[in-house]
Amino acid sequence: MNEFNETLPLADFDREMTLHELLSSINIESLASSIEILLGDNYCLKTSNDEVVMGRLLTGETRLVEIRPELESVGCLIVEKNIDDKLVDAVRKILELLLKSSIRYLMASDLHLQTVQSDYHDLKKKHQALQESEDRYKDLAENLECRVAEQVKTIDRAQRQLYQAEKLASVGQLAAGVAHEINNPVGFIQSNLAVSKKYVEDFFLFSEILGKEDDVQVLRNAWKQLDLDFTVEDFKNLIDESLDGAKRVTKIVSQLKEFSNVDHSKVEIIDVNDRIVTACNIAELEINKKAELIQSLSTLPGLKCQSGQLSQVFLNILLNAKQAVGVDGRIVVTSLYRDGNIIVEISDNGPGISADSLSRIFDPFYTTKDVGEGTGLGLTVSRDIIVNHDGDIVVESKKGEGTTVRISLPVKT
Amino acid sequence: MSEYDELNKKLTLKLVFYGPALSGKTTNLTRLHDLLDPELKGEMMILETKNDRTLFFDLLPLGMTTPTGFFIKLKLFTVPGQVAHDSTRKAVLSRADGVVFVADSQISQSINNAESFQNLSENAARVGLDFETMPMVVQFNKRDLPDIQTEEEVNQRWKSMPWELFFSCALQGDGVKETFAGLLKALYRKINADYKLEQEHQLTESEFIEGVIGKSL
Repeated sequence: MNEFNETLPLADFDREMTLHELLSSINIESLASSIEILLGDNYCLKTSNDEVVMGRLLTGETRLVEIRPELESVGCLIVEKNIDDKLVDAVRKILELLLKSSIRYLMASDLHLQTVQSDYHDLKKKHQALQESEDRYKDLAENLECRVAEQVKTIDRAQRQLYQAEKLASVGQLAAGVAHEINNPVGFIQSNLAVSKKYVEDFFLFSEILGKEDDVQVLRNAWKQLDLDFTVEDFKNLIDESLDGAKRVTKIVSQLKEFSNVDHSKVEIIDVNDRIVTACNIAELEINKKAELIQSLSTLPGLKCQSGQLSQVFLNILLNAKQAVGVDGRIVVTSLYRDGNIIVEISDNGPGISADSLSRIFDPFYTTKDVGEGTGLGLTVSRDIIVNHDGDIVVESKKGEGTTVRISLPVKT
Repeated sequence: MSEYDELNKKLTLKLVFYGPALSGKTTNLTRLHDLLDPELKGEMMILETKNDRTLFFDLLPLGMTTPTGFFIKLKLFTVPGQVAHDSTRKAVLSRADGVVFVADSQISQSINNAESFQNLSENAARVGLDFETMPMVVQFNKRDLPDIQTEEEVNQRWKSMPWELFFSCALQGDGVKETFAGLLKALYRKINADYKLEQEHQLTESEFIEGVIGKSL
């Protein structure tokens, strides 16, 4: 394949050329026979190194004429002394013209070879660069699938971390409310138990009297003195109240459990209304704001979904609504089933959202809340969850007219 | 690089006229052929032109002998200025002992001058010439044309450069010999020590210049 031997050492085009070289492209026999017509065979053409190129060595008296095609002599013509000057001069001129044209030709052709070789070298370099670039693209194309999969994995991991962060943020927000809500019943159960202990002591005192006395009147007086009529009545109330409080704690704890395992919540068929109610209950624990929460839920078909994630979405939106509303706050939660979709609407009568904020509402880390109050991830994560369920989430709002979040989830059979 | 042949008592020097297309390199050489009167002057060799544009190079050989009988041969080359002939330019520039950069004074040619100068420095590096120490002069040609950069502008722009500036009108022959003499001066200063021109060959700077240019300057 390597037609052009690039290792061929090229002579410099502007080198000094010898007579041999200059005559190499000329037909010597033809030249010699022409010169013989003018000079006969009594001549000799020698190089500067005394080598005979044409004619024959002469004996006897001779004359020497330098041949200078350019500046310097490249050789000389030796003729018999008695040959006509004009003829010798003519031959010299013819030789010089011939050699000069030979110089021209050799210089041009050598320079041409030199440039062709250099261009060829450059082309080869370019070709190699192209080849390398092509190989890179080939490699890239072949590994593209692998790399995309890898990237997807990275993104997936990042998203999980986002979910985790958002979950922690909502949990943190709830912690104060939950603590209060649990502390409250635990507090009054404790104080009820303390009072109950006193009541039991009173009954113990009465049982001691009962062991010693047989007189009914004395016993009645003692019963009255210890105010045991009231004690019996109140004791029952205390226990009822405490049982009720314990039930409330149990309920809160069971509802919280649903949020504790969002990442690994399994796919199951659930009644979306149950999750709405749970989310509403948890949202109500938020103590900082009191708002009227109205539920208007219609019967829904079962939905195959990751229920823990849906609960998180409802809670996110409810907490946002609660933070938005002022005095006389009202939040309405509606659910209905229409055309194969479960539609959940959460509306509030808060101050609404400006058009500018509305366009960025799902952007990650976009928040209008003060630093530390919101991550700017709640709605981003909510949308991701709904999209993962092939659903849709839309926020409608106008400044001063409240906000409605509409979630629609397709029910697949 | 110069060729120093002790045996045949001969020193060969290569000088190159570089510059953008149509700046007047061939004209410089033609005028030098007419104006110079050295001991030996060859015929001008003009290699293959197409529409009067240089395709390969032009060559003017000159020669002189030192008082000690040492022969100094100077080969003056032009390069083809057109951008497309870069490989040829590189080959002609290789082993040069000195350079005349022929710039076109017309304001419209400023960019071509700059690009050609850039090309000269790149090619010098490619063929292993030290651009910083290489003997060189810069000639602003075509001073007879309208819309040219003034001498003040040119001087201002080049004042921080180490190369001597010349202004010429090669077509009329003005400044051509002066430019070449400037290069010979820079060349002598560079090679004198290498070849002991003054010490061994008894050739002073002015004798060298006079020997190449002739007594008429």
